[in-house]
Amino acid sequence: MSALNGRVSRRTFLEGAAAAAAFTIVPRSVLGGPGEAPPSETFAVGLIGCGGQGGEDVESYIKNAGGSYRMLAACDVDKGRLAGAKKKFGDQVELYTDFRRLIERKDIDIVSVATPPHWHALLCIAAAQAGKDILCEKPMTRFIAEGRAVVTTVKRYGRVFQIGTSGRFGAYKSTAGRTIHKIMRSGLLKNCPAVHIHKGGFPVKQYCGLVDPQPQAVPASLDWDLYCGPSPLRPYHPHRFGWSHRYYWDYEGGSLADFAQHYMDPLQWTYGKDDTSPVEIESCAAPAHPEACGVWAWAELKYADGFTIVLDGNEWGPRYDRKAPRQVQLGDLDEQGRKKVEAMPDPDPPRTFVEAVKTRKESAGHVEAAHRAVTIAHLANISIRLGRKIRYDPVKEVVIGDEAANRLVYQPMREPWHL
Amino acid sequence: MPASEELKALVAQLPDPDKNGTYVNMDQERTEKIGKLIPDLLKGGRDTVLGLIDMLVEPGKGSDLKPHFALHLLAVHVTGLGDDKARADFAAAAASQMGGDRPKAVQKYLIEELRIAGGKEVAGPLGKALLDPELCDDAAGALAAIRDGAAEQLLAALPNVRGRSRLSVIKKLAVLRCQEAAGVFRQALGDADADIRIAAAWGIARIADASAADALLKAADAHQDWERFNENDACVALAEGLLARGKKAEAVAIYTHLEKTRTGLSERHIREAAARALASAR
Repeated sequence: MSALNGRVSRRTFLEGAAAAAAFTIVPRSVLGGPGEAPPSETFAVGLIGCGGQGGEDVESYIKNAGGSYRMLAACDVDKGRLAGAKKKFGDQVELYTDFRRLIERKDIDIVSVATPPHWHALLCIAAAQAGKDILCEKPMTRFIAEGRAVVTTVKRYGRVFQIGTSGRFGAYKSTAGRTIHKIMRSGLLKNCPAVHIHKGGFPVKQYCGLVDPQPQAVPASLDWDLYCGPSPLRPYHPHRFGWSHRYYWDYEGGSLADFAQHYMDPLQWTYGKDDTSPVEIESCAAPAHPEACGVWAWAELKYADGFTIVLDGNEWGPRYDRKAPRQVQLGDLDEQGRKKVEAMPDPDPPRTFVEAVKTRKESAGHVEAAHRAVTIAHLANISIRLGRKIRYDPVKEVVIGDEAANRLVYQPMREPWHL
Repeated sequence: MPASEELKALVAQLPDPDKNGTYVNMDQERTEKIGKLIPDLLKGGRDTVLGLIDMLVEPGKGSDLKPHFALHLLAVHVTGLGDDKARADFAAAAASQMGGDRPKAVQKYLIEELRIAGGKEVAGPLGKALLDPELCDDAAGALAAIRDGAAEQLLAALPNVRGRSRLSVIKKLAVLRCQEAAGVFRQALGDADADIRIAAAWGIARIADASAADALLKAADAHQDWERFNENDACVALAEGLLARGKKAEAVAIYTHLEKTRTGLSERHIREAAARALASAR
């Protein structure tokens, strides 16, 4: 049993306890010092990605949810950022530049993924393969097929996954939100008249990449090849690294990719769309550059039942004026239907990540929901990048009749990486 | 082929970036202008494509912002016309400019655009690029995206590529679920390079090769850490693939082995996954 600054991790504790007495239940109060969580309650965490968001998710989804954690390891491809991890989390933190060495550690319970998004899927899959639970920053993925691969692996190994957004807790607290959820889940509304227009909140103009970046020398502290990872290895430019990685298709996908997961997560729960995706997608945008994200006006995404989402950037181009906002109401049902919905119990409240890890049940921002939410952004971006309407099969997760679009749904990775 | 003055004049009409080097200045007027410009470019056919490519330069050797963008606009445009001949003509023209002494960075960009617009007609030129260590990974990725005609090129190149190129080719055969590569995957499972072994394991799982199950299990049994995670996962994925193909006995044998042998706490998730699968298979 390895000591960690005089303490033991939850995983190491459980390993030892399991070996000693597999059927002994150790009370939570045992072994914890005064005012400290016992080791059986303390999650051992490894952080991958020590930039701006590094460490935010463990605070939000463990500490703020009443849990306790110990950061044991941190990894980053930039040694400068990596050095900051010890200052932030303490001297017990071991530092890595290769995430594979962190994943291999047997004493880590949870991997917190806070790299740029082009790494998210691979890291989540690797963590699940190694039996870790996962906190993953949003956006969950860079393209749709990555999401399905993460879902498959997380479910295959019964891992707990939480995406870095928590809007559905608020959606659940709303009486109107719960009512809509029940109407939608009842199956009584065959044609959904709802139109949700999310206006603004996308820094469209800020999130434009450089269209002609000239190569610069790679900083000595940075492993640029590993940073690029599964994405194309392009000449280094500082704008492709750090905060502004968001402005390039190689790493993220502009303001839509960066924000839509936040906005769509609660909406998707409310409208009961955690297990499906839109079927028709149109957009209005400037012609898209091959590498740099650019300006867009709006994207309209329609589900098979008619429910329509509009993402209105509200910064550029013509305003969206096709449809007016409209919520689903009990009045959309006949009297018998209304009575049925009113008699339905409230759905189960969303579960925090801490509860989910302890009970081995699904967390609120679970993997399928997260995949479906970010798919909305990806579909909008595919339509923007191709400048045309697309039709999507939410079961097969392919664009119908558009080969070029499907080459954005699944993008073979640079070696040695694969989904 | 050098760009004509007419083509240069058309390309010059594409907007300049703003003072920060972005297209945040792409207003409605500029957007509409591009919309009108694309059909004009397309009218030039093969000569336009060759001329645009001639205007490309490698990064750091000057700006090719406008021809770079124009070529991409054309690549996307031809995929949305519903006219496969127009798409294939564009792709064939672009592919004809690969090779020779053209800078590798420019050739990589052509491959990127072929990844968008290319079809079977460019499989041959991409197959040749597999033999160039600087282009192999890009070409293999494009072939894997194109799919049609890709496996033949990858298999043909395999005996002639080494190191990272060999990894690229084997991995992309796995992406394509190439049944003809079953022997390649089985052999590569015993390779000296761990990345190749991992690629082979993944390929075996992707094609659900029951005949390789024992070798894959032995490989996973023998390795540790990163390689073992990957090979364990390939074992589970192979069993899932076999179940999906009705090969229940073969799948059960894999799950049973994993359930019995992954006894440590750090592999509890493997054991439990196998146990769940066995319970549902029975």
